[in-house]
Amino acid sequence: MINVLLIVHLLLAVVLLGGITHQAISAVWPSRNKIGIVRSYRAVTGSVYTNANIMLYLATATLGGIIYPVYRVGVRTFLENARLMAATGSFELKEQFVAVGLGLLPLYWLLWRRPPEAGGRTARLAVTLILCAIVWYGFLVGHILTNIRGLFGL
Amino acid sequence: MSIEKVFPIFAAAFAVIYVFAVQYNWALFTYHPKIGEWEWLAQPAKNGPPMYWYGWLVTSAFGATAVSLLSWPLARRGSTQYWLGWVVPAVVVVVFVYLFRSFFIH
Repeated sequence: MINVLLIVHLLLAVVLLGGITHQAISAVWPSRNKIGIVRSYRAVTGSVYTNANIMLYLATATLGGIIYPVYRVGVRTFLENARLMAATGSFELKEQFVAVGLGLLPLYWLLWRRPPEAGGRTARLAVTLILCAIVWYGFLVGHILTNIRGLFGL
Repeated sequence: MSIEKVFPIFAAAFAVIYVFAVQYNWALFTYHPKIGEWEWLAQPAKNGPPMYWYGWLVTSAFGATAVSLLSWPLARRGSTQYWLGWVVPAVVVVVFVYLFRSFFIH
């Protein structure tokens, strides 16, 4: 059952990664025309991703919270016994970054709800980039730790 | 809606309270995963490692909601301080890297 939840957690994270990255690119590097794949990628309407990204973030974090005890009892103990302190620390940081991201979600929703007013444009870019960085970090750390025994021949 | 003016304050307060919750273990409750037991506030390990993350999150959510509600009368009169909502969380992210540096520096 935990393996199924872990795979669903991973799949949700993949969709979230795509959504938040697409939105971030459209905000940082917008394009008005859709000639070619790169410009088409940049020319999307970023606001349409907001609600989906929020739901995906909440769902992914909730699922992560459900499977977290298995990591805490089994995986972290293994990492500590193997003296893989950087791997343990990477997950500790992931845990804290995801929490900070949860607190950003109401503001993120507000900033994308309508065209930004004074001061809102910078905040929209910054909040989107912070959330994007958190999602990327969480995804990479989660992926590496899930496969750590195979990746490092342990 | 004027309630939206406190969203940056909520984001900033959540991040600040959360970093204090982690550092000083202000968990509203503790979960003992090996025995499946929940307890109020931060409790020491029983059989296996205790988990405080859920408690830290709830502490921060309650604390940030309280700060937001208290600041609402002031915030509704002025312009929205969007910068608070991203500068403070960004600083907190850096603070966490500093607090957890011992995992990476031997």
